[in-house]
Amino acid sequence: MIGPALERNEMLRLTVAGSVAFLALWTLAAWAGLTSRQFLPTPWEVVARMGELIVQPFAGFTLGAHLLSSLQRFAMGFVLAVLVGIPLGLAMAYFRGVDRLVTPLFEAVRFVAPIAWVPFAALWFGTGIGGPVLIIFMGAFPPVLINTYRGAKFVDRKYIEAARMLGASALRTITQVLLPAAVPSIVAGLRISAGLGWQSLVGAELIVASSGVGYMMVKGQAAVSTATVMSGMIAIGLVGLLIDVALRRVQRRIERQRGL
Amino acid sequence: MANIRFRQVGRVFRQGGQAFVALDGVDLEVADREFVAIVGPSGCGKTTCLRMAAGLEHPTSGSVSVDDVPVKAPGPDRAVVFQQFALFPWKSVWDNIEFGLLSLGVAADERRRRIEHYIGLMGLTGYEQAFPHQLSGGMQQRVAIARAYVLDPKVLLMDEPFGALDAQTRVVMQEELVRLARQHPRTVLFITHAVEEAVYLADRVVVMSRRPGRIREVIDVRTIRRSERWDDLPRIEDVMDQASFVHLRTHIWKLLREQQGSEAH
Amino acid sequence: MHAVHAAAPDRQPWLPRLGWTLGAAAAARLLWQALTVWTGWVSPARFPTPAEVGVALRQIAIDGYGNARLHEHVLRSVLLVTMGFVVASSVGVVLGLAMGSSRRIEALVNPVFLVLRPIPPLAWIPLAIVWLGLGDAAKLMVIFVSAFVPSVINSYTGVRQIDTPMFEAAAMLNVRGWRYWKEVLIPGAMPSIFTGLRLSLQASWTTLVAAELVGAVAGLGSILNQGAQDIYPAMILVGMASVALCGWLMTVGLGRLERWVMPWRAVA
Repeated sequence: MIGPALERNEMLRLTVAGSVAFLALWTLAAWAGLTSRQFLPTPWEVVARMGELIVQPFAGFTLGAHLLSSLQRFAMGFVLAVLVGIPLGLAMAYFRGVDRLVTPLFEAVRFVAPIAWVPFAALWFGTGIGGPVLIIFMGAFPPVLINTYRGAKFVDRKYIEAARMLGASALRTITQVLLPAAVPSIVAGLRISAGLGWQSLVGAELIVASSGVGYMMVKGQAAVSTATVMSGMIAIGLVGLLIDVALRRVQRRIERQRGL
Repeated sequence: MANIRFRQVGRVFRQGGQAFVALDGVDLEVADREFVAIVGPSGCGKTTCLRMAAGLEHPTSGSVSVDDVPVKAPGPDRAVVFQQFALFPWKSVWDNIEFGLLSLGVAADERRRRIEHYIGLMGLTGYEQAFPHQLSGGMQQRVAIARAYVLDPKVLLMDEPFGALDAQTRVVMQEELVRLARQHPRTVLFITHAVEEAVYLADRVVVMSRRPGRIREVIDVRTIRRSERWDDLPRIEDVMDQASFVHLRTHIWKLLREQQGSEAH
Repeated sequence: MHAVHAAAPDRQPWLPRLGWTLGAAAAARLLWQALTVWTGWVSPARFPTPAEVGVALRQIAIDGYGNARLHEHVLRSVLLVTMGFVVASSVGVVLGLAMGSSRRIEALVNPVFLVLRPIPPLAWIPLAIVWLGLGDAAKLMVIFVSAFVPSVINSYTGVRQIDTPMFEAAAMLNVRGWRYWKEVLIPGAMPSIFTGLRLSLQASWTTLVAAELVGAVAGLGSILNQGAQDIYPAMILVGMASVALCGWLMTVGLGRLERWVMPWRAVA
């Protein structure tokens, strides 16, 4: 039996206990002296390193500059995925011919992990921005397309009938009926898409970049500086979380507006 | 001149290898500006008739024509009022009503004139910027009716438009529809399973049999309405209280009751 | 994605769909040939011709490329993923179920989880390399991390969405301990557990390929890596296709398992 929700105090106590235990274990493991501090820093050393990175450049840039670089790539790839994915998804939902043509091609390419595009990205774009953008696109595109398609395809039939009755053209039906109807599904897809895009970005930057948080982590790894690597991980996690939170806000607002 | 003509209309559904005859040899003409209601047991095909006139479905035999032109596809000349309203949730009341006019290419000032006219007529003043989910069922259906009328359609097709409303709202809407119909007479095909509604609103009431749907009887209400002067009575309750009304209603009930008893084949 | 409309319950016949798929594939193949060979718009330095891909495929299948033949690469990758996935999801599912059924455990473990969760699996690669070098151990570590999180989360939600009446019935029938887990928790959470497994498997697979790309002796990712270094586009394509195919087969396999375990459910 799950039982009732914990009393606030107890929950707080347990949460704190859990965090403390985790940090304590970590710190103890670092102090035990089994390995060098560079190899396994204490949590505080990681935080300190993060602070350093914010002011002191490492691998060419400060942490902030690296993040900016990463975000730029992410934005480009994500926006591209949205600009291609939404119209294509709508077209596929409305025109059966487009659906029949695109679906097999999409399904074939879909199972290629975005990261597997890295070699071609490197081949085609070198260390230019095109490489990471391509990989982010490959990660962000499928959820946008699928969610747009599903949202538009499964529109309640009565809206389509009303639109037909009111004499709407194909363009008008797509933009004024399918698209608005699909918005909740699209926004949900955008959240997933942003998550996958951000993850793909990290992967791309591990290999084909000369700046960005992933690149910083690789350099940190080469210098055997765990604290640097962990700082990168924390930064990536935080930014990814912020992006998701922002999109969730958008999602909630749209749901409220629709009275869903 | 816009009439609706059903000539020997038949509709056969195929599902999983079996054939179901939904409609069988329906012959009906709705004259210009006539208000015809179709009543019948569930599944008798009355909604199918309306949808064929709308162009949302097609007969497997026979033909349906509006204004002597065979019906091929839906269009604003045959405006539909749906039971589930089918207003676009993402558009305001004004934009919903305007949608069809934009497709028709009506000029901006003419659009504004028409929309304002029907908003006033349907009691929607003040709600122009509201969204459907903020409105009650009755209000939403008013918007749907306004949306249909504003198109200035040849015929009006109403598919159990008050079926999703509660009883009190329903009565109010019936009164309003009568008022509207008198003010803007139009050819109307009205589907309902509420007998009183049909008798109150229609010039003629078509009673259909259960599946396979055929016309059982067509009752002329207009003559009685005129001779008994129902229109002079102030409220709907007064009309429904009339002996002549009750008589018609009971007659139709009996017809429908027969359908319940008989076995479907 | 099939063209099913909201109202229609019957599925589309598969033969015409297959026909369309084959037709599209044939058209794509023709287009490929046209772009690379006939017109030369796409230079072979950027994208391989169909013929070159055939050569590369034969090469890796028969002679070997990047230290091993194709099936050896595949086996290596699949084995690593399977090992990591099985261990991670077992631990993950148990933890998730525990967190789901006990609010105490949830409160204790949550903080750690909330910190770990937002970190993308791929972001663990540099850390794994620092700690464990470029060998299989590091690969297993990242596979573990990427498979662990979805398993936990989905098992947790799986428990939480079990209807209360089920729990009440269990209490009334005095079901406890091992039986409680076996008869109530696990079956009730099973659909979510499988969703978690699917996500874990996909994440494991993706992460492994990425890790192998960074540095590996053998495995599908290393094909890609070697192909990139040798500037051998045809081999890169062979690598990508192999990754896609394996990923697809694993997903299908898991789907089959799911249907076998829960025959009463319609799998999406």
